[in-house]
Amino acid sequence: MSEWSKVTRPIPAPNEWTKPFWDAAKRGVLELQRCQSCGHFQHPPYATCVKCIATDLKFEAVRHDGVGGAGTIYAYTIMYHTGDKRFASAVPYASIIVELDDAPGALLAGNLLEAPYTEAKVGRRVEVVFEKLNDDITLPQFRLARATPAE
Amino acid sequence: MWENRCKVAISGVGFSKVTRSAEIPLAAHALTAVKEAVADAGLQLSDIDGLATYPELPATGHAEVDGISIVSVNCMMTMLKLPDLSWHIQVGTTNIGGAVQQAVNALLAGVCKYAVVWRAMHNPRGTYQNLPGAYAQGAAQFTAPYGFGGPGQGMAVAYTRWLERHNQSREKMATLAVTQRRHTQHNPHAYFYGTPLTREDYLNSRMVAYPFCLFDCDIPVQGAVAIVLTTADRARDLQPRPAYLAGYGQRLHFEVAGRIGSLSNYMEGGSSSAKLTWERSGFSPKDVNVAQIYDGFSASVIYGLESYGFCKEGTALDFIQDGRIELDGELPLNTFGGSLGTGRIHGLWHIIEGALQASGRAGSRQVKDANVSFVGASAPIVTGTTFIFVGDPY
Repeated sequence: MSEWSKVTRPIPAPNEWTKPFWDAAKRGVLELQRCQSCGHFQHPPYATCVKCIATDLKFEAVRHDGVGGAGTIYAYTIMYHTGDKRFASAVPYASIIVELDDAPGALLAGNLLEAPYTEAKVGRRVEVVFEKLNDDITLPQFRLARATPAE
Repeated sequence: MWENRCKVAISGVGFSKVTRSAEIPLAAHALTAVKEAVADAGLQLSDIDGLATYPELPATGHAEVDGISIVSVNCMMTMLKLPDLSWHIQVGTTNIGGAVQQAVNALLAGVCKYAVVWRAMHNPRGTYQNLPGAYAQGAAQFTAPYGFGGPGQGMAVAYTRWLERHNQSREKMATLAVTQRRHTQHNPHAYFYGTPLTREDYLNSRMVAYPFCLFDCDIPVQGAVAIVLTTADRARDLQPRPAYLAGYGQRLHFEVAGRIGSLSNYMEGGSSSAKLTWERSGFSPKDVNVAQIYDGFSASVIYGLESYGFCKEGTALDFIQDGRIELDGELPLNTFGGSLGTGRIHGLWHIIEGALQASGRAGSRQVKDANVSFVGASAPIVTGTTFIFVGDPY
């Protein structure tokens, strides 16, 4: 299991496009940018809808079974290199990309927490958890899904 | 077909010494490469009237200092003091292949006669790819907090998706690393010239960012390479046999920065670029005698082979087996050793090798009867420029 407790992560610096995402994460809610014209969820945030070029975008909660963050591992890497000493204690660790059930096409980065890094596989079911970094920033993170997915 | 096919040629190539660390300022490397390329073409420096480059330092978290960590057009202009200089450009979106394409356009437009393009790469002290400091700005705010640093990890995540979706194993990549290292032994300019690599070396090497081990990553070096381009009619008056440009293309697809792990970004980037090159040249993948495909990270070759149309998606690691990419194989690949053999000089060296093979100037690594020479000069995701050179104009 990767040792995360000694890791000092770079802290996200929200901007005009991204602030609602971090405000929601602080409340323990996963909100993504959603096109008000075609309904598409996207991440990372962008100036226009990546599907229909509309500019009317709002952050909305992504809900699934009332949890708001069930999905699958879309891709991952296991990091062994210790170029950045702040992450050295966690090596080897799994950095994963997650596609949420209710936001296909939106790709969220995270780490696979509460499991050996060898559990990271494309297609594994995961669910969001929230990791508080400081009073302003809470990181959405992922662990293996505990509930079976709804059919 | 493109009405301008075979109207521009590469007539000279040049190399600086490639070293692991920065012993002399990068500008000196670039100057050596440019002077060599001009001499190779049989020209004088004063004949050069066009300059183009892509100067970016891909290492993150290091300062760009002109002449030391990058060599811009301004820097080259200051050094050379060219009496007849009439055109220059520095490109942004398309990497070094775009600088070559702009030089081609300038020659076709008649605004210069002999253009030089160089790529100079610096290896900074310390860690090559640094995560941001205390705060992660811009697109990195969604990746760096999770330990995603440089492009290696970005490419590694797409590679796991490719491997697991297609039920493939990373061990098959040993063939690429070992074959390219063998090609490297025919290229005295390469960093790993004189250093062999075995399949066991590859399979036992330390993991960097799974699925990438050490030998899936090109080694950061200090060095420069350069070419001279001119119009076909002028090229025919020069001593080296010209390598005629039959067609080129550039990526027409881009996904939002920070959206890492997406395979479509690679596949659509590569296929959109190659489609232009196939259409303009009139050739198709089966016509190609020799190919150079950018390999800064080994998986780039997979995305290149598949998106350019050399093999079906999901099959590239099988495609490279059984001697197919050897110098006498069906598709000799990265015959100069690739970036994995030369060190990290980006794609201009791929373009150089494509030209040398087309013009029969590749020495002991020359592919027999090579005429149609394909180049994918950068990873399809970022920049995705493609080229075909031929020895016989048509």
